[in-house]
Amino acid sequence: MDAALNGLLALADFNILVLIVAATLGGVLVGALPGLNATTGVALLLPFTITMDPIPAIAMLTAIYCAATFAGAITAILINTPGTSASATTCLDGYPLAQRGEAGKALGMAAVSSTIGGIISVVCLMAAAPLMARAAYNFAPPEYFALTVFGLSMLATIGDGSPVKNVVSGAFGVFLSTVGVDLLTSIERFTFDVRELTEGIGFVPVMIGVFGISELLVQADNLHVKRKQVIMKSIRLPSRADYKKVWRTILRSSGIGTFIGILPAEGATVASMIGYNEAKRWSKTPEEFGKGSLEGIAGSEAANNSATGGAMVPTLALGIPGSPTAAVILAGLMIHGLRPGPTMFTEQADFAFAIFWSMLLVNVLFFFIGLYGAKVFARVTLIPIQILWPIVFTFSIVGAYALEQSMLDVWIAIGSGIIGFFMRRYGFSVVPLAIGLILGGMLETRLGQSMVMLDEKWWLMATRPLTLFFFVLTFLALFGPAIWGQLFKQRSPLESTGE
Amino acid sequence: MFCAIAYWFSTQFDRVPPILKRGIQPSDFPQLILGLIVILSLVLMIRDKSPAPERMTSVVWTTLGLLVGFILVSEIDLFLGLGLFAGALTMAWGERRWLAVLLVTLAVPIMVFFLFDTVFEVRFPRGLLTNLWYG
Repeated sequence: MDAALNGLLALADFNILVLIVAATLGGVLVGALPGLNATTGVALLLPFTITMDPIPAIAMLTAIYCAATFAGAITAILINTPGTSASATTCLDGYPLAQRGEAGKALGMAAVSSTIGGIISVVCLMAAAPLMARAAYNFAPPEYFALTVFGLSMLATIGDGSPVKNVVSGAFGVFLSTVGVDLLTSIERFTFDVRELTEGIGFVPVMIGVFGISELLVQADNLHVKRKQVIMKSIRLPSRADYKKVWRTILRSSGIGTFIGILPAEGATVASMIGYNEAKRWSKTPEEFGKGSLEGIAGSEAANNSATGGAMVPTLALGIPGSPTAAVILAGLMIHGLRPGPTMFTEQADFAFAIFWSMLLVNVLFFFIGLYGAKVFARVTLIPIQILWPIVFTFSIVGAYALEQSMLDVWIAIGSGIIGFFMRRYGFSVVPLAIGLILGGMLETRLGQSMVMLDEKWWLMATRPLTLFFFVLTFLALFGPAIWGQLFKQRSPLESTGE
Repeated sequence: MFCAIAYWFSTQFDRVPPILKRGIQPSDFPQLILGLIVILSLVLMIRDKSPAPERMTSVVWTTLGLLVGFILVSEIDLFLGLGLFAGALTMAWGERRWLAVLLVTLAVPIMVFFLFDTVFEVRFPRGLLTNLWYG
């Protein structure tokens, strides 16, 4: 209780509040610009926060996360282009409404459901994170190792690409984390006598490369795409009848989004898809979906925003990122010398609660920004990418340099960007690479500690119930979909023949 | 190929005596991960039937070429490289309004330089242009 109050008091500083408001505005801008998303926005902001205290720094990163996730709806509704992938399902009903001259109503519904979803998830975060941390407080290295393996295995299901490719990408990220001095033995690995590499490959330049510079190369392929904005008269809040129709959908999607967010590596995109599908399944008027249903917008937006709070639960309580953006925030926490994990709620509880309160504040802030600023942000979406991306590149490079003030980081950012671009071309997601890089060091350290603890008998890990439980979950995460698919095929021969 | 080269490098790491070994040798973990990558790559070679991606457009090749150009020019001066890259990129992508080109070539790099130099106290590498400020 004291920690909650102290956290709230820590935020009661004019400068911090101004920074949070600025980051919220920046987040809405980032989310509204096609091509940029919450993960890229947080990766680009990270170097700017290095000189700040941890509370304003992390509060700004989470503000970008929450606000950008909401703002994807602005472009989804007005130009039929989701600002973030999490808003893809919002296009399905938002744009048809906008074409009918009801863009304001659609944006109003998006703002209300996003805010409610976001607030519910932060309340869940405040309750669940300390509980999860308490449960994990007595974890020994083998349990942590198994949990980290489970977190990495969840990367297999990220996006719509091949699970094997996702795991290869994640393993490559883990491999990159082995560059530098081995923390257990102080032996140099893959440093090639480059002094700057002894501390390893930095998170920030790689994040900037794979999320920012690779996107620049992807955008080079999208120059022909013309964006046309629907004219918007004004934004009005949903009517009482609208609320009556959607309140169940908002609550259901908020629950779905929070739960999906808590699962390691699963983020707002998966949440919005499931939230939308469930809204349609439970709706009395499913035939309206895809033609301008307010329930569709509410289902998608409440789910994707509630996933933000959910994703922060394992990030803060276990040190396992709940989403790609949470992975970048996790990197930010580490750079600021904080140790995400169970001890965060005993040793740094004030800090954790300050972050929770700031997320709550951001969810209220973007409601007003969304309602009164959407018209302005909608215009911003029409900035030509010929101007936008050279500017983003300039910030990316300077950001990559600024952290360690090393040109090597600039080369790493560009190299990661080019590798990331080719990975994406061949169907490999770059998100597992980033998460693998962050968790790789942790994974190796915990494996080493486990080996010491178990007298180098690694198979004894399977005799520990919790470790075994996480390994079973890992097996299910990796092979469950394939096994399920085989079973489903065998039981539904008609479907498999296409009849 | 990559895994084979990386594996060979990992065999060159120093080994620590058993008394100082903290569970695993420095080369064990990277070799474990490389092994995993090799196995998964073989699975992909056998099972992955996804079509080859479309040919890259000339704009993408130009952008990649400009990135190489940026790396070379930034050896002379980081901000010279940034300005030239941004200007060349905006024109290669079809922008012809000189005000827009000037914005990304001059205004943005200058603004970013002073923002980071004065507000964030970042010291940029000395070069042709930055020496004008640093003296």
